[in-house]
Amino acid sequence: MTLSEVVKVDGNAGDFNVTVKESPRYVDMDKCIACGACTDKCPKKVDSEYDAATGKRKAIYVKYAQAVPLKYQIDPNACIRLKKPGACGLCEKACDAGAINFNDTEKMHEINVGAVILAPGFEAYDPTDAGVWGYGTNKNVITAMQLERYLSASGPTEGHLVRPSDGKPVRKLAFLQCIGSRDENLCGNGYCSSVCCMYAIKEAVIAKDHVPGLKASIFYMDMRTHGKDFDMYLERAKNESGVRFVRCRVNGVETDGEGGDCRLSYVNEDGRQLEEFYDMVVLSVGLQTPKHVLELAKTADIKLTADNFAATSDFAPVQTSREGIFTCGAISGPKDIPQSVVEGSAAAAAVADLLSPSRHNLTTEPTFPAEKDISNEDPRIGVFVCHCGSNIAGVVDVKAVEEYAQTLPNVVYVERNLFSCSQDTQDMITKRIQEQNLNRIVIAACTPRTHEPLFRETLKAAGLNEYLVEMANIRNHNSWVHIQDPKNATAKAKDLVRMAAAKVTFGDSLTPISVPITQTALVIGGGVAGMTSALNLAEQGFDVHLVEQTDTLGGNALNLKHTWAGEHVPTEVAKLVDKVLWNEKIILHKEARVTAVEGFVGNFHSTISTKDGKSKVIDHGAGIIATGGEVFIPQEYNYDNITRVVTSVQFDKLFELKERHVRIAKKFVFIQCVGSREGDNMYCSKVCCTHSVQSAIALKQERPDRNVYILYRDMRTYGQREALYRQARKLGVIFINYELHGKPKVTEDGDIITVEVWDHVLHRPLKIECDLVILATAIRPMPDAADLGKLYKVPVDGHGFFQEAHAKLRPVDFSTDGMFVAGLAHYPKPIEESVAQALAAAARAATLLAKTSISLDAIKATVDENYCDGCALCVDVCPYGAITLVDRAEGKGQIIRVNKAQCKGCGLCQGTCPKRGVFVAGFTMKQISAQIQAALAV
Amino acid sequence: MLDTKKVGSVMIVGGGVTGMQAALDLADSGYYVYLVEKSGAIGGAMAQLDKTFPTNDCSM
Amino acid sequence: MNFEPKIVAFCCNWCSYAAADLAGTARMQYPHNVRIIRVMCSGMVHPEFIMDALSQGADGVMVLG
Repeated sequence: MTLSEVVKVDGNAGDFNVTVKESPRYVDMDKCIACGACTDKCPKKVDSEYDAATGKRKAIYVKYAQAVPLKYQIDPNACIRLKKPGACGLCEKACDAGAINFNDTEKMHEINVGAVILAPGFEAYDPTDAGVWGYGTNKNVITAMQLERYLSASGPTEGHLVRPSDGKPVRKLAFLQCIGSRDENLCGNGYCSSVCCMYAIKEAVIAKDHVPGLKASIFYMDMRTHGKDFDMYLERAKNESGVRFVRCRVNGVETDGEGGDCRLSYVNEDGRQLEEFYDMVVLSVGLQTPKHVLELAKTADIKLTADNFAATSDFAPVQTSREGIFTCGAISGPKDIPQSVVEGSAAAAAVADLLSPSRHNLTTEPTFPAEKDISNEDPRIGVFVCHCGSNIAGVVDVKAVEEYAQTLPNVVYVERNLFSCSQDTQDMITKRIQEQNLNRIVIAACTPRTHEPLFRETLKAAGLNEYLVEMANIRNHNSWVHIQDPKNATAKAKDLVRMAAAKVTFGDSLTPISVPITQTALVIGGGVAGMTSALNLAEQGFDVHLVEQTDTLGGNALNLKHTWAGEHVPTEVAKLVDKVLWNEKIILHKEARVTAVEGFVGNFHSTISTKDGKSKVIDHGAGIIATGGEVFIPQEYNYDNITRVVTSVQFDKLFELKERHVRIAKKFVFIQCVGSREGDNMYCSKVCCTHSVQSAIALKQERPDRNVYILYRDMRTYGQREALYRQARKLGVIFINYELHGKPKVTEDGDIITVEVWDHVLHRPLKIECDLVILATAIRPMPDAADLGKLYKVPVDGHGFFQEAHAKLRPVDFSTDGMFVAGLAHYPKPIEESVAQALAAAARAATLLAKTSISLDAIKATVDENYCDGCALCVDVCPYGAITLVDRAEGKGQIIRVNKAQCKGCGLCQGTCPKRGVFVAGFTMKQISAQIQAALAV
Repeated sequence: MLDTKKVGSVMIVGGGVTGMQAALDLADSGYYVYLVEKSGAIGGAMAQLDKTFPTNDCSM
Repeated sequence: MNFEPKIVAFCCNWCSYAAADLAGTARMQYPHNVRIIRVMCSGMVHPEFIMDALSQGADGVMVLG
């Protein structure tokens, strides 16, 4: 439901009544075929929201070229006709499909649902009112989102970086960080927006790629690149791309001269006032909750934090204060894409937990007539030529194509349609298939990438195998790209129809492969992540095996006292352990590890061995790896030699026990990044900055006369954690920045420990005498992660953490289907992110386990027994490990076998085989050869 | 399990990357999903980004 | 003198075929001489296909993936 807003939420968890207001689109979604004729004719231009006001759009428009649904809409605030009845109306005349409806009205819907997920996102901070940045007055001061559009090939300048003021190419570009973030004076947003450091680096690198010789500088306070692989990206930006990083807060931007040069003034680290000039200044604007979302929060009656984000618990990061209402994405705090995707799945898991008794109640499976056997019939091809309004017919002589198609071999029926994809044409095609006894279909229309599924359904509805259709792409690949050349476009359309007909002649009925699913999950690792996944799946009604290597549940969380928001970890972990132990659906295997694995998605067989030497095989449909990480034991800073140099985990224990050394100590020094962000461990452990700041606050609160120092590289109290950093500074904790080349030195002389560090401001070494040194040590991957990975054919990254399928879009999936990852096993992270990821992994696993079988596309490698001689060349090239070599029956040599559940139909085997021993169904050698021959026949 | 009414459908408010992910996962695990989007098309802010995040990858 | 070459292009469904679709959406104009054959991966293109195409009169073959 687009153009829709929630206006009322009544009822309780499991049974809400939600009122949704749907604004008029003025375009009939069923009729609009997104040809764009209306937009061509529309005379009214306004700023494009999508292009962040860097470009224009019309009053009738589609948000962007790849929009879903790809349907046009009329902006009632811009449309001439809607403002003045009787005027304009050009779009209505231009629309062949008759989709324009100026009389469309607002509609109210009342919808009964079991749960609500709020995912309304964020808005970028608007720097206009702040004044000092020159935004709104100097055209060359733009926001990061605007730069994003300028850099885009589909943007207003097609990716060319020129100054908006005079069109001059940009040679010097400055990024100003923390605009609308970490700033209570100018905007009231005290929190860190978490994503701006990373996007600024990305944009700087891309801008430098676009413009050779471009100088890009990033002015920042702390470089917060705490996510997976982000620090490596930062290092590459510095060392390979040559992006310049300047640690300072820029005071303001002023316009210099007629051309609109930007003058920056700032105080550098040495305390000197400097000025620099730039062609363009990019403001790295922060994320904030938009007004309409604040209203939505009020409508939904959920609590917000002081920073105006939805309030959630660290142990239930997607649950709002109102039962049955969940959140995901930036509404509950600024976050990046992977974390937003994780939360999307996590919210799904939380909903599934709540509503599991009603699973499948409201969903239906479509039914189709029995399929006709055509194997003994001669081909009878039906060709349907689409006009696509004027999109095809306006260029291609469709009548000539129709007449030509009738002359092709095996073609027995040809027809033209105004819109082949419309519902009435679908019904008509179904009728024709039955009437004319057609057994192969060619649709000459648009691209199979979007429309093949639709026509497959049509064939199914007609009782014909869905794979007996072939599309000739005479729109995207023809009429749209040869607009000025109707003669050749018509000839090409004929060729494309001939090629499709030739291919489909050799098409066979194919059956999608159905793989049964064992509706049981295996979770490896009994820490917070593993327990959360196991519990959620069990609450959803699935049987779960939970494998823990030690004799205790809880994992690394057993070492922790408080989350960043102050929740008591031991209490919450104890609750979680209790729930796991009492859940009848969870079978716990303690002191056990996975030692062997067979099978594939839906059908894994994992052998687990216990300490006492026993082993058993568990059948499961999906698996979650949540094996955690371990604490790094340092060797530097005299950790081995000085007893009062401790790690943060050790310090927590000593502090809790009120150990004498800690109790009497007056001076404390925390050293950050011990084992993180250097050498081979170029990653941020993500939790240590917040941890040290929290410890420092606790020390200060207990006795304000204590001296507490934190030696840091970049203070990474991201998101709403920034409040802790602010509090620590207010309490008098002293923060000293050090760089990798001037690392602190720790020595002991009698009772006194001395920490020596290079002071950037004073330009000389600084000696701090102290009683206790606390090392903020890194989180390391488990040393046996790679071994476990090999068993399930899932990879680990260069640092030894498990590698997800896609960093942005599939953050908990593995490239091996049916396997998922959560928690520290994936990357260092705080508890609420582990919990969210664990829920997400459970949700992803549940999408498999909810079904008794999965249906896989029939486009799969198939062995031709007559030709395969078992040379096994294909075994090595198969990227999915789907091909194995087996003995033929009765010892007649060897032959390959394809596991269709693992095969993705890429056909590398087909391309490699010298003997035609293996082919991909639907793309056989015969079919493609026929297509080649047809392509060159005339 | 308490014997209260549980409706097997979910409303998701917001059609950005996070809302879409939630919608897909819930639909795939057997729930009816209403995806409510304020603007004319789903995709959210991610669809505006240039590189790194393929815009036509919204998997609907 | 008006030589019109015939070019056969094997395009991977997931990238170059999709790119050709997008070229259409963007109305990017290009010469009509190319005939696209969709494959599920450019790795599927057997060397024989290329030989076939050339021997049957193609003036060029592109494998895009």
